Amino acid sequence: MKVIQLKVNGGVYKVDIEEDMRLLDVLRDKLRLTGTKEGCGEGECGACTVIMDGVSVNACMVMAFQAEGKEIITIEGIQRKDELHPIQRAFLEEGAVQCGFCTPGMILSAKALLDRNPSPSRKEIREGISGNLCRCTGYNQIITSVEKASQYLRREEEEK
Amino acid sequence: MKKRGIGFASVFYGTGYGNGFPDISNAIAELGMDGKITIYVGATEVGQGAKTILSQIAAEVFSMSVEEIIFVCEDTSITPDAGTAAASRQTYNTGNAIKIAAENLREEMIDVAIERLGLNSRVGLAVKNGRIFLKTFPEKGISFEEIALLVGDQHLRRTGSFTAQTTQMDEDTGEGAPYWPYTFSVYGIEVEVDTSIGTIEVIRSVCAQDTGRTINPKLVEGQIDGGFAMGLGYAIYEDLNLQKGKIKHNRFTNYLIPTAEDMPEVEKIFIENPESTGPYGAKGIGEPVTLAVAPAILNAIYDAVGIRIKEIPVTPDKLLIALKEKEMEV
Repeated sequence: MKVIQLKVNGGVYKVDIEEDMRLLDVLRDKLRLTGTKEGCGEGECGACTVIMDGVSVNACMVMAFQAEGKEIITIEGIQRKDELHPIQRAFLEEGAVQCGFCTPGMILSAKALLDRNPSPSRKEIREGISGNLCRCTGYNQIITSVEKASQYLRREEEEK
Repeated sequence: MKKRGIGFASVFYGTGYGNGFPDISNAIAELGMDGKITIYVGATEVGQGAKTILSQIAAEVFSMSVEEIIFVCEDTSITPDAGTAAASRQTYNTGNAIKIAAENLREEMIDVAIERLGLNSRVGLAVKNGRIFLKTFPEKGISFEEIALLVGDQHLRRTGSFTAQTTQMDEDTGEGAPYWPYTFSVYGIEVEVDTSIGTIEVIRSVCAQDTGRTINPKLVEGQIDGGFAMGLGYAIYEDLNLQKGKIKHNRFTNYLIPTAEDMPEVEKIFIENPESTGPYGAKGIGEPVTLAVAPAILNAIYDAVGIRIKEIPVTPDKLLIALKEKEMEV
């Protein structure tokens, strides 16, 4: 047993962890943030993608103790008060969600991409989400959504 | 060397259970005290968009906005059986059942309206935006909410049932017409084969899909993209590697499915030729959009390098061996 402190979606948490726990287990089982999904559990599918200190990571491949002192953003943390995040809104509008299992990870990969590249090309978006597998959508409507979200975010920046 | 080729494939696909198997969908339509319409149906939403399309069909019956429809599905304690979300059958089969239930409810509501308004005929009545009224004299009308209040606790609630036409094939000859209806589709695909390493890249793809009538274009586009990705995986990536009944490729490191970088843009053409027995002419497209992808890719490979591949997935090792064999023949 060990106690770690980490920041998740803006809140600071102290969590008892077992040595072999993954960040994914801390999020889902300790903090009950079940929006982060476990797909393959070995870093291939991207369903468990979260943002750690600004970088997208597979929460199944990060040991809990490695998250000590880190800042994590999960799907539960990207909404703005009562409003959807522009990426979430674009996903809904463009039909980017089918079964929905890959969606939280997709949205966080999209966020990590747009945070560092606000105007990606479709090719760059394909590359940016290539670590997130989707069985249903064939990706194209997801790519259109990320394009649309980038427009929303740029417009927000201009209005500021 | 990189060689390009173009291939086409077309399919026709019978939706529903077919072959004489009873294919029945049931639904209930109910008028709520707030004047909203609730649909109860056992249809399952698995991301394909059944909830949206089936709500749209109900909304169309009442000429009201889809937001006014309350859609209750999947809960078997309160919803009637609508069969499986399989065989590309929910839009056509369950869509028909919902349309029938909604129409039955609408007629019942018109009966109440006629009595209340003191009319002597159904002629010239319109149902729109939560009201039933005379087309020639719109002030003469009644809202759904008023109808619900008039009926009170009895609740207007009507069922609808649709049984598809399926006939058994001749057991000896295998001949017959087991399904109704059929959906048609064609893919045209251009590939680039890298003959030095045996990889195949899809450069361009076009899908022409018969939809009967497209109830929701965005959902149909999503089904086509998704179907293409599955067909692409089936054609060149996905290999279970079954050995003595055991799946050897049992993880994503060796069972490869297409990523966003493998997936091309797909140009889509809807062929709208309304199916006379479909709800507003619609047919199912879910599975049909997957089927022609692999044969079109194989035809494109043939066009590019002159080799007929007869086993899928066409992984680089298989293609390199085939290229080598062809070389040695010459």
